[in-house]
Amino acid sequence: MTAYASDGAGTRTRAPNRTLSVVRMQLINKQTYIWIPLIILGGAFVLALAVYAILFNAGIDSPKYGGGAQAPLWYFLIVGVQALTLTFPFSQAMSVTRREFYLGTLLTAALTSSILAGIAVVGGLLERATNGWGVNGWFFGLPWIWEAGPLGALLVNFVGAMLFFVIGFWAATIYKRFGGLWLTIVLVGIGVLLVAGLWFVGRLDAWAEVFMWFGTVGVVGLSLWTAALTAVLAGIAFLTLRRAVP
Amino acid sequence: MTDVIQVDNLTKRYRDTLAVDDVSFSIKKNTIYGLLGRNGAGKTTVMSILTAQNFATMGDIRIFGEDPYENAKVLQRMCFVRESQKYPDDALPKHAFQTARLFFPNWSQELADQLIDEFQLPTKKRIKKLSRGQLSAVGVIIGLASRAEITFFDEPYLGLDAVARQIFYDRLLEGYTEHPRTVILSSHLIDEVANLIERVLVIDRGRIVMDEDTEAVRDRAATIVGDAAAVDAFIVGREVIHRESLGRVSAVTVLGALTPDDRRRLTSAGLDVAPVSLQQLVVRLTQHTAGEPITVPTEEGVLR
Repeated sequence: MTAYASDGAGTRTRAPNRTLSVVRMQLINKQTYIWIPLIILGGAFVLALAVYAILFNAGIDSPKYGGGAQAPLWYFLIVGVQALTLTFPFSQAMSVTRREFYLGTLLTAALTSSILAGIAVVGGLLERATNGWGVNGWFFGLPWIWEAGPLGALLVNFVGAMLFFVIGFWAATIYKRFGGLWLTIVLVGIGVLLVAGLWFVGRLDAWAEVFMWFGTVGVVGLSLWTAALTAVLAGIAFLTLRRAVP
Repeated sequence: MTDVIQVDNLTKRYRDTLAVDDVSFSIKKNTIYGLLGRNGAGKTTVMSILTAQNFATMGDIRIFGEDPYENAKVLQRMCFVRESQKYPDDALPKHAFQTARLFFPNWSQELADQLIDEFQLPTKKRIKKLSRGQLSAVGVIIGLASRAEITFFDEPYLGLDAVARQIFYDRLLEGYTEHPRTVILSSHLIDEVANLIERVLVIDRGRIVMDEDTEAVRDRAATIVGDAAAVDAFIVGREVIHRESLGRVSAVTVLGALTPDDRRRLTSAGLDVAPVSLQQLVVRLTQHTAGEPITVPTEEGVLR
């Protein structure tokens, strides 16, 4: 990396990598990236466990499943929104290019998504070791998520968080650049496309094939498809950001 | 003297307004500029476009000979903290300064610490809870301590008291003397910064109406002080831009440089020449109601 020494006004031998510096800038918002996701996950977990214990004490000892581990994934929509709204204007004052800001922000999302996925996997392993926390209650280790083992669970959690993050970030960027009207139009437009897709599948009488595909592709295959979708959205989000004004 | 900024035919159009109208100018290296003009004249828009925070509709800008857009090499040599700058929600002032240190190669932590002390800035209070003056101080500290080769200050003094403003002016001049650089200061307090700025850029309704050395601007007008009747006799046929009277004494500011002959007439009439206020000149240049073309005011319109 080149150090850009200015004439006269002092030089620096090694300039810090500006993309990594964006990660540090994003992590100023510790509440957004660290504490709130952890509180959501911890809260959902404690609540689920309490319900499982009540059921177990009531004599229901069959396996009990809950979807509470998804709660922080949804929150990553908001993280994506805040990554843009809270930090983009400041990054511009710090003379950061939009590209540096974007890459650093995605890196921050990857970092926090990994932490979340890591916690989910460790939780799942503990759950297995204790046979559902001793009450046969399953919070992290839902069978379809774990069908490919811990690595599959890690992948699906990570990719899920990244997808929600990118959606939130893109939505916030559209809002910043074009305003609320266009954001609504884009969201409604995507909704229309999805419904049209459903109608098309129904018209082809292909629901059986669709469910079969979901069945055979498995959690890893589904994660990879989601990753591809995330990458496409991430590319579109960058193109949207390139002309955004703080 | 080389130019660090070159602007050619810059135009910025928002949906229904023309914020910047076919403007061309250049900024010299190591000079302090005053970017003056009324609210909405286009000052912030011009600074935003020069720092690639905003985009030109038409025209060309060169910073250090290059296009600044997505150009980290050029951008990190500039600093622009806007008047309404937003900071990350959880940020304390120290976070903002730590971040600035990462991105500005010439950052002086020593100067930042000194300024925090002098502005009595609470560093452990969230930025969004700071008062308007403290918020301005955060921006001023980043601008001064970044020691960027081109630094923009956009109305930096909002909410700052007179003491804090003086600290800002003093530290700006000190830093400028020790580490010469280009400073572009947009301000409404024209007379307060008049002694600081070497060159005046006046922007009015999206157009540059003055681009001159401060000294030359001052010579464009003179204030004649003395006995009202004698003053009135002298100013016949001259354009008056300001008049003050107290009893039999008048102080009248007239446009146009004084010739040696004028000076002889003044001496023989017992009249004095006082320095002219930059603010009065700028007000005269930009005084008009919305939508009206710039006209030379009639004498009746100016006399009170």
